[in-house]
Amino acid sequence: MERWQPRRGRGRGRGSYSSSSHTQSNNFRPSNTSNHPTTRKPTPNHISSKINNKQDDNDPEALPNLTGSCPYMCPIEERIQRERLRDLAIFERLNGNPSQSSSTLAVKKFCRTISTKDVRNVDLRPVFVLEDTLNHLLNIFGSKSQPFEVIHDFIFDRTRSIRQDLSMQGIVTGDQAIGIYERIVKFHIISQHKLQRNDVNSNSNVSPMHHLNMEQLTKTLSSLYHLYDKTQKPNPGFYSFYVLLHLGSDHQPTGESLSLWFRKLPFSVMKSKEMMFARRLLRYSRFGNYKQFLETIDSEASGLQFYVLEPYVCDVRAFGLSCLNHGGYKLNPYPLVDISKHLFMEESDVESFCKDCGLDTYTSEDGTRFMPAKQTSFCSPKGPRKYYPMVSERLKTLYDEAPEII
Amino acid sequence: MASYMSMGEAHRRITDYLNRFVDVISYQDGTSLKHLLSLSSESPSFLALADALNLFQDANRLIKQADKYSQYAEIVAPLFRAMQSYRVGHLVESYQAFEKSANAFIQEFRNWESAWALEALYVVVYEIRILAEKADRELASNGKTPEKLKAAGSFLMKVFGVLAGKGPKRVGALYVTCQLFKVYFKLGTVHLCRSVIRSIETARIFDFEEFPVRDKVTYMYYTGRLEVLNENFPAADHKLSYALKHCDPQSEANIRMILKYLVPVKLSIGILPKKALLEKYTLVEYSDIVLAMKRGDLRLLRHALEEHEDRFLRSGVYLVLEKLELQVYQRLVKKIYIIQKQKDPSKAHQIKLEMIVKALKWLEMEMDLDEVECIMSILIYKNLVKGYFAHKSKVAVLSKQDPFPKLNGKPINS
Repeated sequence: MERWQPRRGRGRGRGSYSSSSHTQSNNFRPSNTSNHPTTRKPTPNHISSKINNKQDDNDPEALPNLTGSCPYMCPIEERIQRERLRDLAIFERLNGNPSQSSSTLAVKKFCRTISTKDVRNVDLRPVFVLEDTLNHLLNIFGSKSQPFEVIHDFIFDRTRSIRQDLSMQGIVTGDQAIGIYERIVKFHIISQHKLQRNDVNSNSNVSPMHHLNMEQLTKTLSSLYHLYDKTQKPNPGFYSFYVLLHLGSDHQPTGESLSLWFRKLPFSVMKSKEMMFARRLLRYSRFGNYKQFLETIDSEASGLQFYVLEPYVCDVRAFGLSCLNHGGYKLNPYPLVDISKHLFMEESDVESFCKDCGLDTYTSEDGTRFMPAKQTSFCSPKGPRKYYPMVSERLKTLYDEAPEII
Repeated sequence: MASYMSMGEAHRRITDYLNRFVDVISYQDGTSLKHLLSLSSESPSFLALADALNLFQDANRLIKQADKYSQYAEIVAPLFRAMQSYRVGHLVESYQAFEKSANAFIQEFRNWESAWALEALYVVVYEIRILAEKADRELASNGKTPEKLKAAGSFLMKVFGVLAGKGPKRVGALYVTCQLFKVYFKLGTVHLCRSVIRSIETARIFDFEEFPVRDKVTYMYYTGRLEVLNENFPAADHKLSYALKHCDPQSEANIRMILKYLVPVKLSIGILPKKALLEKYTLVEYSDIVLAMKRGDLRLLRHALEEHEDRFLRSGVYLVLEKLELQVYQRLVKKIYIIQKQKDPSKAHQIKLEMIVKALKWLEMEMDLDEVECIMSILIYKNLVKGYFAHKSKVAVLSKQDPFPKLNGKPINS
């Protein structure tokens, strides 16, 4: 009798979240230049399935109990080897020498191909060393010594290595570990914001970096939530990021919708200030209430929350414009100044945004600018998203100075 | 606890069981076999047998004594261990032993030509899940990671594979599927349902109509719930309605479970349940919501959501219910229209935005003209209101014909 097997839906290894989708690591080479390796673009709506995947790196539950004993940011053997091969990032070079580093400069690289059997205790860094390593990295992050992409590349890789060390040692509890993951989440969020800003300004295509960064952001959040589960000391703000990342992705074919995610959360987290903020935005977003959506951001969003939301603000504004255009009265064109209030934009930006959406504007005799209603040419803005700041006194102070990571 | 039992009696009980086991298999008596495997039923005979095993301590020797017993040693020996562990409350051990036994059982089951042992297989599958749940509770209470239910899921997939063939055993596949659903829903790994759904719905060996009604109802219930999670309302309506229609009318608990998810779905497509229905099945958490929709009372909707927030979040319908706000707004505007129509039919279709602000204020909701304009623009965009709004004069002008289109069983287009 022919044996027909249904496709097994198991992920690799065991752990409380398994998924049928493996994440494929790319050929990412941390480098001291900003070439971008070719990558596979992740499928849309991948965010949830990533969150519910354990890290694509080694499954800690299948590993023997390793306890890191390496006292340096980089194991000595690796440092010596990389010095010899001249494989040192610019931040690791002693006096700019490409083949000379030091124990205070070299930082362990992320290694995807390592097999769990080959890992030795001396290669892994204990938590307190990882903390110091992270401090060192975040200092570099805050400096302006190199172009941002170069800094980002380096920190991206080295923080991934930190997470790998934690995961290989099966560290799933402890305030220190939580602190490390939380700070790495913040790094990814701020980076996302800066990368997008740079993208817009330079018109270069750094979208592979965005996707990779997003991917690691969701993985780090996933690890963080595991820790919160174990220690029962959740920080609700970090849950709110998950909700905000899901705005606008209403229909997910996998069933891993927000409803499912909410089921698992403690009620106290659901009722926290940060989650209530995110939930309210979710409600407005699903309703289409662009005005309240933007108003709530203006009055309540934290700096980090705003960075996470930023890409979605454009969609909301486009929707709002579309509603105003669709439902308006032909004989009552919209003063742009009124639209600017609805959409929290400068009037000049409204004009530009209308153009992005295929809508015409005109100037009357007395200089007032209008958008006529009932135009049939509306379309969603295409191409790289132009950045129109939110007209918000409160937010201005927040995003002009990047929020403290430490 | 165990009543006083002698060694002799223990010996007798064990050999009685072994004889019975061998007999039911040779007579292919599936119904009797299933009773021999049902650990968690905790029937008196099981408890007594478990006590006997714990007392006798060397059941393996008895199994090896006769060929007719030892041929089933791989099933019975771990089964006995499972019973013993279960009896003394070591549920993780019990699960592990039972899984071993179940594995061996599946191997034998494969060799039996007809589907006579299907009922017994169902029991094995059921027990795997139940024991795994208990084992996980034990692990969690000892501060360890629960992992047995996940293992049970893997095991059930294997069983599914065994049943997924051309022969008569394939009608059992839906039962196993439903047990898998229960496992995945409990674990929250609901995305894993996809692969087994695909197997059931697209494999040519399966004909959905051939499956037992009971299993079809359960299947539609769970796949309906998945559609609710994905907010596919027409599909959810179809599946949950099927489950409702074919559910045993005596089984009020099951009907209630189906309605718990069907009501929010119907509400989302504009169909309101009768008060009597909600009362009959004690679905009181939906009463105020239905009332709010009838009245156009936004405040009541928000209040009802808050009052039962935890319950709605747990069942995963909170977001669905929240979205009903759109229909409540529609109803509110419609009421204003109706009142205006009574006063002056010729002007009814022009609604000053100020009127809506007043109506909301009366409901203790503060909203300014700009926001009301925003809301009207959304209602018009989503075709809940037909018409337009004049920005300058702050008036909404409704279409003279059918200004408030009914949903007619279709979800609101976004």
